[in-house]
Parts: sequence; structure tokens; C-alpha cells
Amino acid sequence: MNILVAKVINIESVDSLNIVNFTLEDQNLSMMSLDLDENVKVGVEVELSMNPSHVAIAKEFSGTLSYSNQLKAKIVSLENGELLSSVKLLVNGSELESIITLNSSKKMNLQVGDNVTLLIKASELSILRVL
Amino acid sequence: MIKIDINKKLHGSNADMQLKVDLEIKENEFVALSGESGSGKTTLLRVLAGLEEAEGTIQVGSQIWQDSKSSLAPQKREIGFVFQDYALFDNMSVGQNLLFVNKDQNLCDHLLSITGMSELKKRSPNTLSGGQKQRVSLCRAMMKRPKLLLMDEPLSALDPYMRSKLQREILTLHKEFGTTTIMVSHDPSEIYRLSSRVIVLNQGQIINDGSAKDILLKTTGSAKFSFKGELLEIVKVDVIYIAIISIAQQLVEVVITADQAKSLSVGSIVNVSTKAFSPTITL
Repeated sequence: MNILVAKVINIESVDSLNIVNFTLEDQNLSMMSLDLDENVKVGVEVELSMNPSHVAIAKEFSGTLSYSNQLKAKIVSLENGELLSSVKLLVNGSELESIITLNSSKKMNLQVGDNVTLLIKASELSILRVL
Repeated sequence: MIKIDINKKLHGSNADMQLKVDLEIKENEFVALSGESGSGKTTLLRVLAGLEEAEGTIQVGSQIWQDSKSSLAPQKREIGFVFQDYALFDNMSVGQNLLFVNKDQNLCDHLLSITGMSELKKRSPNTLSGGQKQRVSLCRAMMKRPKLLLMDEPLSALDPYMRSKLQREILTLHKEFGTTTIMVSHDPSEIYRLSSRVIVLNQGQIINDGSAKDILLKTTGSAKFSFKGELLEIVKVDVIYIAIISIAQQLVEVVITADQAKSLSVGSIVNVSTKAFSPTITL
């Protein structure tokens, strides 16, 4: 499981549905969630989690995407299996993992040192705990 | 090989039914017998033990325990039986309970030591905890070095900690004595941990027979994380709908589409599932 520490900067709510925005130094994240824990408030730091298989990678990307979370990252290691590829990336000093198919990894010619964009849907992001 | 082909009329709580079991069990196999209450599980064990009559044949190895002509008396069948309610002799000590079955002092000491009960050999069963009593009952069942060990929900009265301890001891004994074991159980984790084969009875008939994983892993399509629950309510929020579902004494919420919200009716039993990639595990 991937973990990022971020600070809550805004919460928008409609009934039990919430969109929570976070900041991670110079980058922003947003999360779609049903009822929130009462400790989740603007200003608190949280651990955010996302599954490695829900993190997509874009390289030399231009155009627009609906992904709310588009994080600048650098590839620090690549481990290719027979079918899948585990890509470790650095985002503002935190290491995240993305699991993609080996085909995608080859097609994109991913290399250690590449600057890429991580794509995570707002619905795939969750708060692991409030710090 | 144990060959069972039996037939018996049962008076069920709703209607009479036929217990009809045709089954081959390999030597050293650990079979979990599962199914709703009243499906004939206990009766099947009792028939194998010779405690109840049934039509048909039972063959264990080369020995016929029962056929159309004769039936071997329970004490002549090489079985061990462990009941849920221990069934110990309270007027005898722990050691005497074991030696009553077989006068083998060494085996008695060995069994008590495997199960960590050596210190309690002279105690009376009614001074023991549930877990300790069931250990005595298990040791006593092994005193005959049974070919067939029959257990009828032996751990269902114990707390989860004691259950997992006894599960390990049962497995140790099953392996060391090379017995064939049939155990009635409803607990998926117990069935998964102990058994090499699961047989599910329903209304006296075998409706499922396979490995624990094949039978207990509830899957629909490629989802490997699946639970049955009761749909309690559907709430509209913004442009989405939230289904509130009760699963195993807990409530869960699942976001559904408008079409689904229309087609699902409150009160129905639904499958909640996702692929094995989605859930996260935390302590």
C-alpha cells in the first residue's frame, strides 16, 4: 500500500458526500469520500493511501485528463516480472509504487530517472489515519 | 480408502428426508463436513460410528463395518469420537478417562504431553476449563489409535484463542497418528486451516465436494473479495446512490449507479464484491 503524508486544505460537502483537498508541498490532491471521520478537518495532517494497482503513469503527457490527482514524480526503480511491472517513484521525497502491465511499461519505454506524472482518481484515494 | 454408501430416512424439523451419502475418502484425508443444521451431518457421523442404524455399506480399508448382512458393534469399529459437549466421566480423573479406553500408560502420557495436559492428569474433569475438557476428550478419542476420527463441532463452544490452539493440536494428532478425520464445522477459517477436503450436506444429500478454497471463496466473475449481505437502504447523494448493506453484524456502504438503485430492492440478499486488487488490509 502507498502512503503519502498531506495536509487538509479544504472540504466540500453535500449530505454525506465529501470532496477533500490536500496539499503536499507544491502539489495538490483531492479525494472523493462518503462520511468523514470527525477528526478530518482543515489544517490537520493525514496519511493518504492508495493501492499500487490504482496508480497510473503518464510520460511526456499533453492534453487534459479527468484524473483529479496528477502528481509530478521521478522513477527510482523498475522491477519487471513476466506479466507485470513494479515501478517505484519519488513524489516530494515519498516513495510510491505503481503496478502496471509489463506491456505498458515497455510501450512507454519507462526508465529509471524518467520524470513522469502519476495519475490517481479521486475515488481511489483514501485517508488511512489522521496524524 | 473408506467407502461409504448409506441410506437412512430422517425425520427433519420441516419434513421427512432421505440421508443418502455415497462417498469415498482417502486414507489420512482431513474432511470437513459442513451444511445447515438439520442437513444430516451428525447423523452421518453417528451412522459411521455404529451408534445409529442405516441401510447400505461402510468399508474401512479391507474391513467391512456394515453391509446388508451384518453391522459391526460400535466398540469393534476403530473410531475415535469427539463431541461438542466433551462427554467425559466426571467420577474419574483425566488419566483414568483416557485409560478407560485403552490401558496403554505410555500412550496416555504421550497424548497428555502433546496437548500440554500432563500436569492435570490426576485432576477431575469438572475442575477443568472448556478448552482443557475438550483436550481430554480429544486425547481419549486417540487412545484407540483410531482409523477414523469423528468430531462433531468439537470447538464451537470455545473462545477464538482456545479454538486456534486446539486446531493446531488436532492437526498435530491427525498427522502423527495418520488417522482419517471427519470433522463437522461451520467456521470457514477452521475449515481452511484444517481440512484437505470439504463436503457440504443439504437435506441429506452432498451438494458440494472440493477443496476449502474452491468451496469457501465466494466469487462472482473476477471478484475475489465477496460477501453476501442484506440491502438495508438506498440513499441518493448528489448524482450518486449509496447502498447500505449489513454483512456479518457490520454495516458497509457501497456507491451504486442510478440504474442499480432502481433495480435493487431493499431487503434483498445481495453480493458485495470487488477484485482482489482493491481492498486494503490494516491492523
